[in-house]
Amino acid sequence: MSVMPLSRRQLLRAAGLAGGFTLLAPALASCGGGGDTEALAADAAAEPKGVTLRLMVNQPHVTAFTKILADRWAAETGGKIEVTAVPYDQLTSKQILDVQGGAGEFDVFDYFYFGLGALVDAGALVDLTDWIGGQSDLDAGDFLPSIYDPYTLYEGRRYGLPYDGDLHILFYNKEIFDRHGLRPPATWDEYDAAAKKITQEGGGAYYGAIVQGQQVPMILGCSFINRLAGYGGTLVDGSGAPTLTSDAAVAAAEHLIAVSPHALPTPLQIGFDQANTAFLSGQGAMIDTWTDMSLRADDPSVSKIAGKWGVVSLPVGGTNTTPRTALDAGFGLGVSSASRHKPEAAAFVKWATAAQQNLSQASTAGAGIDPNRRSVLHSAEYAKATPTAAQVIRQNLDGSPLVWPKAPSAPKILQDLVDQLALAVQGQQDARTALRRAQESWERELSR
Amino acid sequence: MTAVDVAAPRTTRPVPAGPDRQGPRRRRAGRVPFWLAVPSLGGLAVLLVYPTIYLIGLAFTTSSLARPLQRWSGFDNFVEANRSLAFNGSLVRSVIFALAGALLQLALGVGLAVLLRARGPRLGVAGTLLLLPLVTPPVMVGVAWKLMLAPVGGSFTGVWEALGVPGFNPLGSGPGAFATLLAIDAWQWTPFVTLLVFAALLGVDRELIEAAQLDGAGAWRSFRSVVWPAILPTVLAVALIKVVLGFKVFDLIVVVTEGGPGVATILSPYEIYRTGLRGQYDMGTAAAETLVFALVVGVVTAAITAARHRAVRDQ
Repeated sequence: MSVMPLSRRQLLRAAGLAGGFTLLAPALASCGGGGDTEALAADAAAEPKGVTLRLMVNQPHVTAFTKILADRWAAETGGKIEVTAVPYDQLTSKQILDVQGGAGEFDVFDYFYFGLGALVDAGALVDLTDWIGGQSDLDAGDFLPSIYDPYTLYEGRRYGLPYDGDLHILFYNKEIFDRHGLRPPATWDEYDAAAKKITQEGGGAYYGAIVQGQQVPMILGCSFINRLAGYGGTLVDGSGAPTLTSDAAVAAAEHLIAVSPHALPTPLQIGFDQANTAFLSGQGAMIDTWTDMSLRADDPSVSKIAGKWGVVSLPVGGTNTTPRTALDAGFGLGVSSASRHKPEAAAFVKWATAAQQNLSQASTAGAGIDPNRRSVLHSAEYAKATPTAAQVIRQNLDGSPLVWPKAPSAPKILQDLVDQLALAVQGQQDARTALRRAQESWERELSR
Repeated sequence: MTAVDVAAPRTTRPVPAGPDRQGPRRRRAGRVPFWLAVPSLGGLAVLLVYPTIYLIGLAFTTSSLARPLQRWSGFDNFVEANRSLAFNGSLVRSVIFALAGALLQLALGVGLAVLLRARGPRLGVAGTLLLLPLVTPPVMVGVAWKLMLAPVGGSFTGVWEALGVPGFNPLGSGPGAFATLLAIDAWQWTPFVTLLVFAALLGVDRELIEAAQLDGAGAWRSFRSVVWPAILPTVLAVALIKVVLGFKVFDLIVVVTEGGPGVATILSPYEIYRTGLRGQYDMGTAAAETLVFALVVGVVTAAITAARHRAVRDQ
């Protein structure tokens, strides 16, 4: 029996492999078991004075936190907040990475509700169910029923409080409509016709519609789902199965495709900021967007159309005659499971979502925050801040808006949907094909 | 194999008198003690081996951003990558972008370098101007071009009107957006090619060119027969660098097109980012896509490296 001599090269290879696996082992052990959530006790005592809370927030909300909430929180509690703004298309992934990557830099997350399942699955949010039950001054019954559960409840547990009651309504430029002898559309057919007429007669000076088509769920997803809601459709049925090939969904996608040639060029390039800027500068006659546009549109420092705009509920279509909007985007505030100041973070969440703070933010142009409570939505102060739109906003937030899915796979399936829709808008496939392919993807993911 | 194979080679150097401090295990000339390499090997393990093993681990397991390395999944992630809307196409687009971009920039860069060399051996102000696009961060380049190309209010609006195509939006169609990205990339990186080729041109013996011209060679023939063979190894080295840089393009896409319209400008790095970090959070599939993409990059760059070796050898 002969013994193979072990060369230095072989020794090095073996040592390298052993070292690599030694390094990998703890990662396997630590990463594979993630996803456990912890709960905050009902009687958790908070001492905010002297505590600095770090917040990761949606970029368009940064003014609300830094200009409105920070000073008040400091004055009322002696605590301090530090705000980090993140672009909306990276918010959920950054929040997951902050916890899973071990950085744990943040105490409070301003989260998308359709990312709630993914965040809970990642163990990134603290279960606040018991803690909410122990807060006698929280007045949870005042939160708008249309958003309270969708924004915060996942598999029977509550992981945050509603912060920004987001939904879309239809804004139009009165001046342009009057010039072309048009009335605000009540149906999506009327909307398409108005967009075509204005664009053709506008001679390139302005466009009939601004269609937000940036290829992310929060933008193109909203544009599709607004039309879907108008046609009385849903994304999933009562059992949770996708319904993307319904007649309503096909009609919604076909309308989205049909209006694109008559919209501000080019819809697939238009995101939130470009759309707002175009409408406020009078380049577009219609835009379906978030309700806080009503505050910006009347602010002469940013708007050229102050006093020259109107607002209606989203149009309807098909057999549906009742206006219905969708909970497009929408945010809650939750406590990061990596926070070292969980009771204080929870106290901040309660304080920031209280009626007084919500009213201040929902009445301030540029804050990007909409009502989250009935008392705010129906207050005289809010109506005074947004006299033109208050009634329409009330009708829609008091109604039964279409809710987006929030399973752990929701970010992926919504991205799959907008990818297919983008190809349809681009003309590479028809609406039915796009929705059939999206349906297949949703069925595959939701059955896992 | 015997012990003879691993014995230290004989040396012709005289052995110093006195006691041999290294004893019977005399080191080979030019070698350093093994332990001195431990820090660099450690660094290599941390920077290369560990990430690679981890990447392979992700590629063969069910892994999300939230829960990596959940369970063994065999080749499921590769199947998922193959089934995805944009990945296979992104590989093709990446290869086209890298090769077409490199060819375009080499053609422009060599041409510019030759013209500049004809002016003299110094770049002067032209050198400073050439450096400007290079030192501008790609994100700034992307933002500037996106603003200029904006269909409403962009600075090219008047140009399109003057050309008889008012409202033209090069980013509005797939081929237009892809070509625009190529053009922006060329705007930024052609000066890099120009500077390196110019440096190579400075090394070409002027006497050889003059001799060729005395023999009746014209400008084109002198370039083709004298200058080009001399700078070819440099040009191929630059081509290799440019192809690798072309495969890595990411920031331009994020800023200018976000992969659109549709999937027309989704190159592989952007698709891997989308799969892993934007919307899908599927780290397993993203890792599988990374391995496949690395294979494609390896094949293309190996071919260019082989061509360069051949050119150097022929020289």
